[in-house]
Amino acid sequence: MTDERQDQTEVERAISRFFAEEPQSRRAFLRRTGRGGVYVLGALSLPAILAACAPGSPGASAAAAKLRWLNWPAYIDIDEAMTPNPTKYPSINAFIQQTGISVEYNEGLLDNAEFLAQYTPDLRAGNSTGWDVMSPGGWVVERMARLGFLQELDHSQLPNWTANCADYAKGIWFDPDNKYSVWWQGGITGIGYSPELTGREITSFEDLLDPAFAGRVGGFSDMRDMFGLTLLSLGVHPADATVADVQRAQQKLLSVPKDHFRGFYGNEYYDALAAGDLAISVAWSGDVSQMALYDRPTVKFVVPQEGGMRWNDNLVIPKGTTNTVNAHKLLNYWYDPAAATTLSEYIGYFTPVKGVDDRIRADAATARAGGDTATADTYDVLAPTVVPTADQLTNIFPDKQLSEAEEAQWNSLFETVLGA
Amino acid sequence: MRSLRRGLTPLLLLLPGGSWLIAFFAVPMAFMLLLSLQQGTFDTGYHLTWNFGIYPQVIGKYWALFLRSASFALMATALTLAIGYPVAYTIAFHGGRLKNALLLVVVLPFFVSFVIRTLNWRMILADNGMLFGFLKSVGILRPDFHFLATPASVVFGLTYNFLPFMILPLYVAIEKIDRRLIEAATDLYASRAQAFWRVTFVLSLPGVVAGSLLTFIPTVGDFITAEVIGAGNPEVFMVGNIIQRKFLDSLDYPAAAALSFVLVAAVMVLVIVYTRLIGSDRLSG
Repeated sequence: MTDERQDQTEVERAISRFFAEEPQSRRAFLRRTGRGGVYVLGALSLPAILAACAPGSPGASAAAAKLRWLNWPAYIDIDEAMTPNPTKYPSINAFIQQTGISVEYNEGLLDNAEFLAQYTPDLRAGNSTGWDVMSPGGWVVERMARLGFLQELDHSQLPNWTANCADYAKGIWFDPDNKYSVWWQGGITGIGYSPELTGREITSFEDLLDPAFAGRVGGFSDMRDMFGLTLLSLGVHPADATVADVQRAQQKLLSVPKDHFRGFYGNEYYDALAAGDLAISVAWSGDVSQMALYDRPTVKFVVPQEGGMRWNDNLVIPKGTTNTVNAHKLLNYWYDPAAATTLSEYIGYFTPVKGVDDRIRADAATARAGGDTATADTYDVLAPTVVPTADQLTNIFPDKQLSEAEEAQWNSLFETVLGA
Repeated sequence: MRSLRRGLTPLLLLLPGGSWLIAFFAVPMAFMLLLSLQQGTFDTGYHLTWNFGIYPQVIGKYWALFLRSASFALMATALTLAIGYPVAYTIAFHGGRLKNALLLVVVLPFFVSFVIRTLNWRMILADNGMLFGFLKSVGILRPDFHFLATPASVVFGLTYNFLPFMILPLYVAIEKIDRRLIEAATDLYASRAQAFWRVTFVLSLPGVVAGSLLTFIPTVGDFITAEVIGAGNPEVFMVGNIIQRKFLDSLDYPAAAALSFVLVAAVMVLVIVYTRLIGSDRLSG
């Protein structure tokens, strides 16, 4: 005779015990949860009741509307030591103080293609994306403008831009009349490396493919950046590249063994390069400046002698938001030289505002006079790097304006490089 | 009248579960199937052209990725079985009063999100991190040794993340085993090893099958481990990664949907073959 109880597991036995309890206990259980439920409901509604009783916030409702800005990571000055007052970003705090507009800052923009894929459905349907200001890259601006996703900028509300924007930051191929975008920050895609790990100086794209560095080389998962640099090493300007050229670039990247590139990274290359997992990597100029200042003092940035890729991110106002006046105020704020200087002193990318490098040098002098030689030295090193030099401007090249069909072809070729 | 009601009742009883399955499984699957047969671009929109040619196209281009993913998943499943079986056995047979506490410990990592756990392992296994940095400074490892971004590290990551999926079904199956059968085996002159292999293991096979299925199927489609721990190294690129890339970066929805369906079909074939091999009568224990 089988012993049924022994066949059951402990869990099953516990369950049968529970159901065998007297009905009275069930009533007591309900009574207890009912009381608890009232307490919970009370606690949840308390903030709502308090909010209704509290006096209304001062200022017109339009001005008090929160400005929501979606940006890339490592693109704003942060004061980690400071308690949020109201944010931990000094330059944004200055904006909030000056204008009284509260700002919600989000570093959720991690990849141009993902960003486009995420917001296109809402924009196509005419819905709000949840953001008032965004900072996409150049080719994204071109596509969004063409598809009617962006609001036209009212330059009469942007006097700072008209007065202070440098020439190299205006009229770029993706938005020649700056109808929809203004330059946020820019940089160069080149090569970052740690000389003590590579054992020598790096000058050329070919150094990325050097077998001596096998397993410690970082590539980019961004198709335009990776193919762009490779095309330049083949003597082709990316803006004029044909599919045949891109096939040659693909073959060049496939000519190295599979484990030569440790990985094809997005933003995470920063951690790997800073930790020393990578000796040499494709890198963004501003990232390497920050890394040298804060995470790895020995790291260096170099524009490959064959050429680097120039890029910049842009401030745009998407359709679907009504907070346009405040958005324009934010765009105008960043072209104020003082604000631009505070920003550049931290993030080290190319600024679009004239005179920032001189202001940084002035801040260095002030710091030195006050006895703070560390900050003074940092600023002295930083000042020339926030403006592209004439040499750099001649040796850095823009992306190609890809049609959808071309983009699909280039993407398909790139997938093979990634390991597919 | 009566026969009509009798006929309707099973249908009505099926309605809640059935409508759940239809709404949340059948409809999305049908939608994906139709998506895979469409052509077009993300910006100009997709149009249904019944493009069945996309399937041979996609299989021809990415068959190597399927093989690689399957081999990683098989290795991870075998490892979880090797590690998980002793754990489940010990908890079931020798757990005593601590059984529930031990099971809680097994499940405890799941309180933290999958991605965060994987990111933490990337930190621990970094080239000069707390583990390898120490071993290198002591001289046990050569300075250019790295574990991350290799196939071994991805298999390790998969094994770690799916270990509880193997341990719990194994525990349930082993716990149910009637100890008196093992006693009987030893009474009949079986050694401890023979008693284990011919009685305990055989009786726990339903748990082994359930655990392997629960481990293999999600592991084949996993993409986070290859991206975080594998650092996007071309040697560890898995099917999940190409599907993710096609959906998010290339915005090639039809190809991504087609790849997903090929994955579903391939896994189903493997599962059917596996359960036939083991014998489905064993599954009911």
